[in-house]
Formats: sequence, C-alpha cells, structure tokens
Amino acid sequence: MNYINNASLLKRQLTVRFARLMFAGNLKERIDYLPMQQAPRDVAAVRCCVHHDRAVIRYRLIALLGFAIENEKPEDEARSLSSFVEEAETSGESRLAGSVLTVIDEACTACIRANYRVTNVCRGCVARPCMMNCPKNCISFANGQAHIDEKTCISCGICAKVCPYHSIVYQPIPCEEACPVDAVTQDARGKQDIDAQKCINCGKCLQACPFGAIMERSEIFEILRAITNPAEPTVALIAPSIIGQFNTSLGKLVTALRRLGFDHVAEVAWGADLAAEKETAELIERLEHGQTCMTSSCCPAYVEAVDKHIQQLKPLVSDTLSPMQYTGEWAGRQWPGARRIFIGPCIAKRAEARLSPHIENTLTYEELGSFFIAAGVDVTECEESVADLEASSVGRKFAVSGGVSAAIVGAADASGHTVNEKVINGLDTRSLATLKALEKIVKPGTFVEVMSCEGGCINGPGVISNPVVARRFLEKMLEEKKP
Amino acid sequence: MTKKFRITICSGTTCYVLGGAHLLMLAEAIPADLKDHVEIIDSNCIKACLYENAQPPFVQINDYLMSQASVAKVVEYLRSH
Repeated sequence: MNYINNASLLKRQLTVRFARLMFAGNLKERIDYLPMQQAPRDVAAVRCCVHHDRAVIRYRLIALLGFAIENEKPEDEARSLSSFVEEAETSGESRLAGSVLTVIDEACTACIRANYRVTNVCRGCVARPCMMNCPKNCISFANGQAHIDEKTCISCGICAKVCPYHSIVYQPIPCEEACPVDAVTQDARGKQDIDAQKCINCGKCLQACPFGAIMERSEIFEILRAITNPAEPTVALIAPSIIGQFNTSLGKLVTALRRLGFDHVAEVAWGADLAAEKETAELIERLEHGQTCMTSSCCPAYVEAVDKHIQQLKPLVSDTLSPMQYTGEWAGRQWPGARRIFIGPCIAKRAEARLSPHIENTLTYEELGSFFIAAGVDVTECEESVADLEASSVGRKFAVSGGVSAAIVGAADASGHTVNEKVINGLDTRSLATLKALEKIVKPGTFVEVMSCEGGCINGPGVISNPVVARRFLEKMLEEKKP
Repeated sequence: MTKKFRITICSGTTCYVLGGAHLLMLAEAIPADLKDHVEIIDSNCIKACLYENAQPPFVQINDYLMSQASVAKVVEYLRSH
C-alpha cells in the first residue's frame, strides 16, 4: 500500500497495546479494557457508534490471539477476551491450524454488488447515451436522473464510458478485485468469505479492504511469550527485505532485536545465497535434460497458486527450498531446541512455515515495529552490532523484483551457461494467464522469476515503509557494501 | 542563507511505524516553487511522543509541531504560510 492508510495504522496501534500488556505480564487481566482504550467515548466514532467500533476491535484482538473469526460459536459473543487468552494458553498452537486469513464479519460492510453507479452529477440529458448503449437495457430514468438496475447490470462499463458528464462511476468490491484467484466471494448477506481451497494467502485482499475487515491470524501471542521468557531460546530469522523497513542500518536493527528479547539473529539472505546456488545448479541440469524453462520457488504465494490453480506448471517449478527454510534448517542445527521466528513482509510465508519443520512462528514487520514501540526500543538509537549469521549482497537482492533472476542468471553466466530471464512482477489475472501458457511463451533456456507482490517482497502486505523508500535504502546499502 | 522553512521529520521508531515511513517521500512532493525555501532534516526521535495522548507521526516546521503529519498536510501548511 503506497498511501498512508488508517486501517493499517489502527491495527499497529492495537498491536502496540496488546504487546505492552504482554511485556508487563498482565494481558489476561487487562485485555478486556483494550477496546475501550482504543475507542474512547470522547473521540468521534469511525463507524456508526463507539459500540460498533469497540465490537470490531474486540474481534481484531481475537484474530491477534490467533483465532479464526469464522469459528465463532453464537455463545462466544458473550465471552470475555480474557477467556480467549486462557484458551490460547491451554489449547496451544493447535488453534492456529487452518487458513491464515480471517474475515471479521462485523467489520465487513457488504460492498454493493453492482460495479457501476449513477451519481447525482447526472443531468438526465436528452441524448441519454447510457440508456441507448446499454446492452442489457438496464438503465431507466426517474426524477430526471439515470438509474441502473443492479439485478440485470453485467458491469460492462459502457454507460460510464459514454456519459458526457462522467456521472457514472466504477465502484469496485476492493477485496474481490484484489484477489488474483477469485477466492473472495460474497455470501447471501453480501459479507465476504474466503474459500480456503482457492486462497493462496497472498494477502492482497487484506491490503485492499478499506474497512480492515480481513485480518491475518497472528502468532504474536506465542512470539511475545517466548521472547519475554528468559528460559526459552529464540532466533530471529530476518528476511532480506528488512533493510529499509526501519530507516536505519542493519547493525542497529540487530541490536534492537536482541533488546526485544531475541537471543540470536540470522539473516535469511544467507539462505537466499544458498538457494541461488542450488537453484542455478538445478536450472542448468534441467535445461540440459531438455526442459524449456524453470521458475523460481521462493515466493510461497506463487507456489500455492501453482498447487491450487496451475497444476500443469508444477513440473517447471524449482525444487529448491525457500531461503527461509534453508536458514531455519541451519538455525536448528546451530541452536537445537530454540524457537525459530521468521520476520518478514509476508502472509503466505505463515502458511509455508506451518508446514515446514524448520520454522516455528512468523512475524510481520508491522508487528515487529509495534513490538519496538511497546518495549520502548528506538531502533535509530541502538548501537551497531553484527548478526549471528550474515549474508552477501546477492541474497539481499532477493527482496526486490528482478533480484532472484539476476542472482541465478549471473551465477549461470559465471559457470559458462547463457540463460535467458523473464520476470513476472506481481500476480494478477493477467500474469496468471501468462503463467498458464508459460512454456509456449518463453524462449527455450529461460529462468522465470515469479513474485506475487508487485515490486517484490518490499511491497508485501506486512511492510512498514513505502516500497519506493525501501528500495532506495536497499540499493544504498548494497552500494556501500560493494567491495 | 537560511531557508524559510526548516522541516524536521521525526524518524524515531514510534513515528516511523505509525505512519512516519511515508514522510520520507516529502522531498519529492515539495512543489517546485517552494523547493528553494525548504530544508528537510531527517532526525532521531524528537521526543514529542512522550506526552500523554501523543498522536504520531510528528513533523516540526520551524516553531510549529505537527501531529499526525502526512506529506499532504505538510505541503498544505507550507502553501498557507
């Protein structure tokens, strides 16, 4: 999201309040007051009234605790939040099973189905090109203005195009529009549902909803409990895109993570270095065996899209593990028994991590930023220190679109193999169509990099920085690090 | 020569996470006719967030402390002063 947005700020503020209580060790005693503190009576309500605001905040807290809102039983509405904390404590991580995304029914406003609407700019002109050109005859005139019949409108958009006053506007359903795989649909009441069979956990709907009705089921409860417990060893596995997320150097960030309570810090870009090496060898071998092309496998939303929607592409996807998994595997050998927490911009990584034996939990940058605020750690004022596991600039470039293919093609070139490259920058309906026909489109001997987020991981659903700023930081750092 | 506007963007972590990250786009958003009158300073925490009910992110423009600052609000302020 390139623009400042109140829905995501609200989520961060709430995460700060939640984390403050966890750091103070009194979440269970105080959590039921958070809706009142976040939406006090003397501040104008965002929704119809302060009570509705608080009801939505209550559901956000339930999602922050890791529960799926869809699993709510009728009697749960009367439950205290502290009873959910108790359930999280006793049920353990089994409650996290299932989809990563959850829809807060109470926050969803049931967007209007018809995509085109006549505004009061309409002057009811004599020409009436909207009515004359509508292929479904669904425009009528009443009180001097045009009216679209929602039941018969097919959203072709001709009326909007031909109106001389630009009085007809396109009104999208943002979450459905953002979903590249048609996994988000309305139920009979107009509220949105996410079909887990189709969902690839890319998180685009979550970024798109102006009401913040879609939330990820967070793991901050487990993570905060672990980092505040001196007896439990923890490793922060930081994704390459973390550079540029906090307006500071990597060294200061490493110190800040240790101050939060992480015992060890490892750069996932190290795993990216390793993945690039393995993927290059795999690519050369596959091409020598006559395969036309191979695609990257580091983006979990893309891998899920292949599994659920483009099965025929599966043989072309690299078998190389993701950088997160290589780094997690290394950390498991280095610090046996430590809780390995991946920190990144990604929602789909959470789904990948739940299936991986090498990662215990995942945290987004947004959540990490909220932790810093709650703990009173100012990253810019920390001293520099060095991560336990460092990476090269090759792996760090995995964070931006084009970085993976540059690494692979460069490595292949160095070993005397000329490989073509193709970059799929962002998943949407059009790029998915390209992927479906990939073998027919690409030149033989091509490496195809696919990233679900446009611009790469620096534009993921869990980022803090504007991607333009993040890219600038990353490039500056790579420039400085050049030998 | 001193510039007419001295703008200090607070880049402390609290401001940065709660919306301040977008303020780093400010330099690009300053209108051409104002560019010569503006000096932008990227600062460590200016401690404005320590007050009760503080509303980050903060930007200091000369003597004026702007809370809940955004690129658009800063540009609008420069225009009207």
